[in-house]
Amino acid sequence: MPYTFRFDVVAANLGFLLSGIRATLLVTVAALAAGLVVGLVVALGRMSHRGWFYGPATAYVEVFRNTPALVQLIWFYYCLPILTGINLSGPVSATLALAVNGAAYIAEIIRGGIQGVDRGQVEAARTLGMSYAQTMRKIVLPQAFRRMIPPFVNESVSLLKFSSLVSVLGVADLTYQAQVLSTTTFRPIEIFSFIALVYFVLCTAMSYAARLLELRLAASD
Amino acid sequence: MGRAPSAMVRVEKLSKSFGGLEVLRDIDLEVKTGEVVVLIGASGSGKTTLLRCLNGLEVPSRGRIWVDGEPMGMFGDDGTFRPLAERALNAHRAQIGMVFQRFNLFAHMTALDNVSLAPIMVKRMPRREAEALAAGMLAKVGLSDKLGAYPSKLSGGQQQRVAIARALAMSPKLILFDEPTSSLDPELVDEVLETMQQLAEDGMTMIVVTHEMQFAREAGDRILFLHEGRILEEGTPETIFTRPREDRTRAFLSRVLRHHERSAP
Repeated sequence: MPYTFRFDVVAANLGFLLSGIRATLLVTVAALAAGLVVGLVVALGRMSHRGWFYGPATAYVEVFRNTPALVQLIWFYYCLPILTGINLSGPVSATLALAVNGAAYIAEIIRGGIQGVDRGQVEAARTLGMSYAQTMRKIVLPQAFRRMIPPFVNESVSLLKFSSLVSVLGVADLTYQAQVLSTTTFRPIEIFSFIALVYFVLCTAMSYAARLLELRLAASD
Repeated sequence: MGRAPSAMVRVEKLSKSFGGLEVLRDIDLEVKTGEVVVLIGASGSGKTTLLRCLNGLEVPSRGRIWVDGEPMGMFGDDGTFRPLAERALNAHRAQIGMVFQRFNLFAHMTALDNVSLAPIMVKRMPRREAEALAAGMLAKVGLSDKLGAYPSKLSGGQQQRVAIARALAMSPKLILFDEPTSSLDPELVDEVLETMQQLAEDGMTMIVVTHEMQFAREAGDRILFLHEGRILEEGTPETIFTRPREDRTRAFLSRVLRHHERSAP
């Protein structure tokens, strides 16, 4: 039976879908920002020689990398309030869960970037009399930062895609809005094809912007 | 303990172990101001470790080290060595240059920035002044035309000369060279050795770990032969190369010289 596509359903409900895009972007950006902060602390722990810092940081990375994001999301929404008595709204607990999940990966990206900087350059800086802090600021971090860009973009793209999971907590993101719309219009094919395209465009744009940044930084060497 | 020896470098009973492995055993050494001392010996004999102990890149297990009369650690009465606090160590390191086998230039900086960074950061020199100084040092090593070049665009020999200029910009009292030509293509070795030779003639105090026997012979005031963590023999190049006392020295030299003849074009 031939299927008649009715993409005007998408056009007619564009405002509704746009609000979903806004929520998706908001959740992603907030989770990335929080994930960066937490990830930085965890990365410092992963590079620490002190057991009380290294141990928990390593456990953190292992736990969040080796459990499904969806399970973490649901756990934060349903289990955390019962255990702690703190009640968080759907969007907040969803963002938090994405952030702590992203932080585990971001921590490893930061650690890899820093530890990937040639030890010899650090020694050279130290033998010139530069302090540990000066060496980090002038030698290690600028080089580490460049190395971190590509994996960090990968992580951002994957977080953007994972953000579709927040729809199960009732957060009105793009996927959630699409579900609502498809049950009211009976046009899931058009709607889900459209949002797939939206995700694709967003992720591609992100990778492309990162490539431009990388090229500009690489122009110096 | 408080006596200040007149030598530029003074080392007493220096020992260093990594785990259970004793790499240096009871090293005594004195280097006078302006002297060029060359350390030779097979790989694993402890030459590099000795060099790295002098500026705190390695922490000795036991013993004492002074550079220009200043203690480079805190010496226990029982011979133990404890490192200086970071600030004190940095102040010493600023006066001791080091040139590495693998150059270790800052990859994200131009030659000029490589050389001017430490004067700016450590000596708090104004940028303009530091850059003028850096340009002068790069001219001294024959790289006036490479100020804006990144390390990846320079040959190994040029990179090593930038590294030497970087050390010189701090006006060090002493420069340590850790196999400065070992990772260079043979045709690039000479330009680095000539730069070092020039420094030696200028009166710089240098301690050089190298397998370049020709350089040791021509620029060295004194040769130390290390074997299994000890200074087995020392003397003038003349003595060491023509009539070494120890069989092991003789065996080492004939091995190295034979290798060089083979690899010569």
